[in-house]
Amino acid sequence: MIEYRIDRHSGVATYVQLVQQTKQALRLGLLRPGDKLPAAREVVEATAINPNTVLKAYRELEREGLVEARRGMGTFVRRSLGAAPADDSPLRAELDGWAARAHAAGLERDDVAALFTAVLDKHFQGDPS
Amino acid sequence: MTDTAIEAAGLGKRFGRGKWALRGCTFRLPTGRVCAVVGPNGAGKSTALTLAAGLLAPTEGRITVLGTDPASARPRVGHVAQGKPLYPRLTVAETLRVGADLNPGTWDAATAERVVAAGGLDPEARVRSLSGGQRTRVALALALGKRPELLLLDEPMADLDPLARRELMGTLMAQAAQYGTTIVMSSHVVAELEDSCDHLLLVGGGRVRLAGEIDDLLAAHTRVTAPADDADLLSSHTVVDSRATGRQLTALIRPTGPLPDTWRASAPSLEELVLGHLRNPEAPVPTPAAETGKAPA
Amino acid sequence: MTTLTTPSPSATAHRDSGGPRLLSWLLRLHRPALWAWTALVLVLGAGLLWLWGPLTDAAAAAWRQYNACDMRPRCAYDQPAILLYKDVEHYITLAVTAVPFLVAAWAGAALFGRELESGTAQLAWAQSLSPTRWLTAKLAFPAVLVTAGTGLLVCLYHLAWSAGRGRIDTARSWYDSLVLHTNGPTTVAFALTGLAAGALAGVLCRRTFPALALALGLTAVVRAVAHLAMPHLWPSVTHTVDRSEGPVVLGLEADSGLVTSTGAHVPVPRCDAMDPGGCSAAYDRLGAVGYYTEYHPFSHYWPLQLTTTALVLVLAGLFALGAFWVLRRTTGTARAAAKAGAV
Repeated sequence: MIEYRIDRHSGVATYVQLVQQTKQALRLGLLRPGDKLPAAREVVEATAINPNTVLKAYRELEREGLVEARRGMGTFVRRSLGAAPADDSPLRAELDGWAARAHAAGLERDDVAALFTAVLDKHFQGDPS
Repeated sequence: MTDTAIEAAGLGKRFGRGKWALRGCTFRLPTGRVCAVVGPNGAGKSTALTLAAGLLAPTEGRITVLGTDPASARPRVGHVAQGKPLYPRLTVAETLRVGADLNPGTWDAATAERVVAAGGLDPEARVRSLSGGQRTRVALALALGKRPELLLLDEPMADLDPLARRELMGTLMAQAAQYGTTIVMSSHVVAELEDSCDHLLLVGGGRVRLAGEIDDLLAAHTRVTAPADDADLLSSHTVVDSRATGRQLTALIRPTGPLPDTWRASAPSLEELVLGHLRNPEAPVPTPAAETGKAPA
Repeated sequence: MTTLTTPSPSATAHRDSGGPRLLSWLLRLHRPALWAWTALVLVLGAGLLWLWGPLTDAAAAAWRQYNACDMRPRCAYDQPAILLYKDVEHYITLAVTAVPFLVAAWAGAALFGRELESGTAQLAWAQSLSPTRWLTAKLAFPAVLVTAGTGLLVCLYHLAWSAGRGRIDTARSWYDSLVLHTNGPTTVAFALTGLAAGALAGVLCRRTFPALALALGLTAVVRAVAHLAMPHLWPSVTHTVDRSEGPVVLGLEADSGLVTSTGAHVPVPRCDAMDPGGCSAAYDRLGAVGYYTEYHPFSHYWPLQLTTTALVLVLAGLFALGAFWVLRRTTGTARAAAKAGAV
């Protein structure tokens, strides 16, 4: 089951944070088709956000075809997202090695993140986050 | 079943022959919303909530609650007053039993006990020995146990530590999610309510300054930074608040058309929106309340 | 909003028949007051039983001894028994007289004023108990207890007083300003007035101490009005005597004065009582030939008590109605109440 964390100071709208975190979980395989998303009640009880915000996020996910609401039962994952590299995938191993080299080269965490973001921006320009 | 939780028209309340606590208030709150009643201290927030709870009769105007008059709606409405009044001599458990006595048939003992237990309160503790935050918890338990369709909370979070605030706000939101309870809560701290509320009622000086869905209100406003020379251009939009700093002009506006490229525009936060309107009592109000809400001065 | 969740079964909400459990609620709130009232009635009741039995017998025996002495200079009689009776009778009479004021103070302060001041009244109204029912419950249950307790005390007082009548020379007359009421149902009516005055004062002031003061004031006014009105609530008997016999007191007086030579009744003129000659001259000028008194003999006791009780209960009822009116007006309950009444 996914657990949402709301960052109040990120400047990103709360419902967008829910959508992003759900997609992230789909990519990482933490959520798989058939899995049930937490009920709005559970999400708002844990995060103290407005229930309509959760519904808005779930509607957005439904609109994108990622989940479906089954009346009286809850919201379920319909399909997973992208080719999410699992923990033991070659891509992940390469990135792991790259990060280790960056660390060995004396780069700070922020430097590495900036570098990574810059490369991401170059290759995925125009793609929705 | 009506889709309107509260509807007020020209609502006014004066205590004795003194000052009007509230005057010419016109607004509509749909059901299923979590509404923030925001405004400075003494703005009339408590009066508005007390009128909606049917604990006071308005001096003028009309207020409808859940499709009927507030007095008739009372059994379906929960109210927690600012001072969190409770019977000081009773224990926590006895206080909850009062709720059961007065709400036979509807009392949700499990919810009430859960709210109290989450605070680690001893059911045998006397109410008079409780701290402010603990009293708030008991008062909320009493209001939630009634399982109201409309919950009116006056400064519910004021006495709570951040942890309890988060936890109780979560409980309230769960109530709203599970039963579709409409919640109205007042506060003079906007940030406290930003994530939990989807509807805003901004009260200042006894009047409604701003009312509506928070998303709509935010979308209608823009925060711009413009060269000071563009002051004339600025006035072609509806200016809520503006201040000049050196050669720059920062303003909160409701755009009436496209903005020049030279201006930097950004979405305002709820707090900026509220402060902008409170700083400028004469700023035009965007809701229909502006037209119908004018009362004879 | 509920579409995403399954509403939990409302098994926890137990369904009862009927309305709110008002008696249980009131007992929870006012248990100390109930104990205090029970204790007060028990203590005063025990005192009255003591007065009725042992004290009256001992004092009556002492008075028989005293009268048997027939003014002999040295004669033994049980003086302490007489004094003890007098003291106990005195304090118990004061206490029973004070009971309605105690009720008024408690009702004004604790039952109504404090609840409205602290907001616990509003708490009850927000808990599905309409202000009208709240007030009805807070008047009805205490009224039963006040009537029962005060009624018991008044009955015991009447027994104790009757036991001493004619046996104890210093026993107070039935028309003594305190005994007149402690002996009969007017005291019960005063106590109920105290309760209703407390309600009215509470909803008017919404503050503990102002409500206490107003409740006491209203009760005192009603008692004074009732006391003044009492002799006029039943036809009195007129008795005239010769001027030479001097004025007489025969019972509860409604009016008194001089009878002139024409037979007319005129009030006693102002004159210096310390100067008998002066008064005499004033009476002569009016042509006074005798004195008259319009009074009530003891046989009028019950008609007077019952008419006065009725008058006081009407006033108490007006206070209660006033309290309802004020409460409905301030809380906007009138419309709802009218609707409920129409059903």
